[in-house]
Amino acid sequence: MPSVQLDQTPRQRWQKVLYKKQPFADNYVDQSFLEKLRKNVHARKYLYWAVVFESGVMIQQLCSVCVFVVIWWYMDMGLLAPQWLFGAGLVSSLIGYVFFDAIDSGAGRNESGRTRWADLKSSVVFVAFTYGFSPVLKTLTESISTDTIYAMSAFMLLGHLIFYDYGANAAIVSSTLSLNMAIFASVCLASRLPRSLHAFVMVTFAIQIFALWPMLQKKLKAQTPHCYVVITFLSAVSALVGLLTISSVGAVLFALLLVSISCLCPYCLIRLQLFKNNIHGPWDEAEIKEDLSKFLM
Amino acid sequence: MACRRGGNHKHCLSTTSPSISNCHKLPSCSSRTHNICMVSDFFYPNMGGVESHIYQLSQCLIERGHKVIIITHAYEDRKGIRYLTNGLKVYYLPLRVMYNQSTATTLFHSMPLLRYIFVRERVTIVHAHSSFSAMAHDALFHAKTMQLRTVFTDHSLFGFADVSSVLTNKLLTVSLCDTNHIICVSYTSKENTVLRATLDPKIVSVIPNAVDPTDFTPDPSRRDNSTITIVVVSRLVYRKGIDLLSGIIPDLCQKYPNLHFIVGGEGPKRIVLEEVRERYQLHDRVRLLGALEHQDVRNVLVQGHIFLNTSLTEAFCMAIVEAASCGLQVVSTKVGGIPEVLPDNLIILCDPSVKSLCNGLEKAISHLKSGSLLSPEIIHSQVKTFYTWRNVAERTEKVYDRVAGEIVLPMGKRLDRLISHCGPVTGCIFALLSVISFLFLMFLRWLTPDYLIDAAIDATGPYGAWTQQYFRKKRETLNSNS
Repeated sequence: MPSVQLDQTPRQRWQKVLYKKQPFADNYVDQSFLEKLRKNVHARKYLYWAVVFESGVMIQQLCSVCVFVVIWWYMDMGLLAPQWLFGAGLVSSLIGYVFFDAIDSGAGRNESGRTRWADLKSSVVFVAFTYGFSPVLKTLTESISTDTIYAMSAFMLLGHLIFYDYGANAAIVSSTLSLNMAIFASVCLASRLPRSLHAFVMVTFAIQIFALWPMLQKKLKAQTPHCYVVITFLSAVSALVGLLTISSVGAVLFALLLVSISCLCPYCLIRLQLFKNNIHGPWDEAEIKEDLSKFLM
Repeated sequence: MACRRGGNHKHCLSTTSPSISNCHKLPSCSSRTHNICMVSDFFYPNMGGVESHIYQLSQCLIERGHKVIIITHAYEDRKGIRYLTNGLKVYYLPLRVMYNQSTATTLFHSMPLLRYIFVRERVTIVHAHSSFSAMAHDALFHAKTMQLRTVFTDHSLFGFADVSSVLTNKLLTVSLCDTNHIICVSYTSKENTVLRATLDPKIVSVIPNAVDPTDFTPDPSRRDNSTITIVVVSRLVYRKGIDLLSGIIPDLCQKYPNLHFIVGGEGPKRIVLEEVRERYQLHDRVRLLGALEHQDVRNVLVQGHIFLNTSLTEAFCMAIVEAASCGLQVVSTKVGGIPEVLPDNLIILCDPSVKSLCNGLEKAISHLKSGSLLSPEIIHSQVKTFYTWRNVAERTEKVYDRVAGEIVLPMGKRLDRLISHCGPVTGCIFALLSVISFLFLMFLRWLTPDYLIDAAIDATGPYGAWTQQYFRKKRETLNSNS
């Protein structure tokens, strides 16, 4: 039978080559079979608290959306005067601006080569244009029913959360799209406010919380992790308190969501990581590691 | 469809007893002969490794006295039955091509046709080729339902990382779990297939591909010895590492002013090479030949001194054997089964990076300049002993003999095996499908019973009309010469 090992004298060692005629059957299985098999080469070991820390980005973003909606609700109800919000926003923006440079002692600014004069110019231009166009924003969506506006805003804010750049290197991530969706939602919601000053303040606030605040967060996270944890905690508390004044059930649900994201999900990730079974071996398609585009430039 | 109904000969053929097979002795005829049916989506006029493998293997099996037929799908106007050299019968079935020359699979629509052919040709062993071919898997499925022996040859490597390979690997597990024997083209490919389909390695044989050494002979007079020529012959696609080539060409052309490249082949990455040629003004030194006919490959190879292969994955790599057979020094990436193919003195193995490949090529160039390279004739005479189709056929025949002695799992055991081997969900689904296919077969047998299907005249094999004539003539001429 050809299946039986033909070689009775084990003096000749089997070699993993095809060009030699070896005294072994074609279906011979050597001891070295699959010895080059590697498992979970690229699998990373995660530490629980490190994953919890990383989940802070998501917590922050959820809180920003929550705070934004709460503020809008207060404005819509007439409980918050737009002047107050504008003033508070202006002060916190200035403090944030100072911090932004103070954290890395101006290293980032020197790198980008952007002057303070340019910053001032673009913010003045932005504020002036938003103020000038706020009557238009106010009446822009008048012909659309309020329910549609609410549904659209909800979808846009959800999209903002989905496409936001949480630091993952995936195709779905697009910070431009994410920011645009958030601003669109703010314009939609602003058009339902009583006056055009409200609309102006709302859109400005949206820019502050969705565009400027994440930039500062990123820097805080990189430079002062302890400070970042405290700030994440504070923003979670403020979002929860704000939500609590509107709806206690909503606050409880939101708290559960935050806890499951920051504590439960990391635990699941680490548990499931144990079941990872990724096979590698000489049959894998080789990866081109070099940057070949330089040959074409 | 010349041989659709062999009515007159049917009875005399079907009643011939096996003892007649000894009345004429065929060259190196083995003790028992088989009726083999090769099935694959890939066959001539399509060109490639699988296609030539099927053709050459069939020819050698015919020479050894077996009956061989081939089933593939219709290629444009090439449909029906064709006879190739030595009476090799090819069925081009009218099945719709879905993607990349592979037919769509529903597991059932091809059954009536395939069953008709299997019965008509009295097939005993179904040999399917290539895991990319849907028709091959269909045929395996039906053959098992019809209680025929099955053999499968895997020609390619697959990863385990992405979603598409997870799915195809699952389908391969299902397809191969009750196949009698599997053939792989290299040891790496065997490891890969065993893992992908969770097989017992004992039922997997390694039989490499072969190259016809008479087609690839060296001709040093065709070389231009005032320059150094590097030849690349491959399809210009990502998997063949053409991006690496686009980094190697400018790097080496700047270092060696008398270095030339000849690139044969066509594909989507051609544009990258054209850009590089444009960017570095290398029009007189880099020749892009476009698609090559199989018979022209040798004429391109012999113009070079060094053959470069930049593949990122490869189960066997016929190209480097062909090049070595033409007497070229081979430089190649060390991926897949390539390290098993040629001995160390004939090949320079490199990592799949521009730097490593450039170092390998520079080593080959310095050998060439110092004259320490083996002469093309010596390389050719060494390589021609490695891989021959006769040897492949001999070893495949052993697999057939082994398989013929095995039993095909009866329906009940087949269902058990599917459920126990392929996981609860997939296993149950395919067990259900195989029950349906069994009922479908019953229905077909009721519609046209086996005894109503005409047996075809054998063109090849022990009673083959073609082989008898051919080999008798050959023997007569041999006798008259002596």
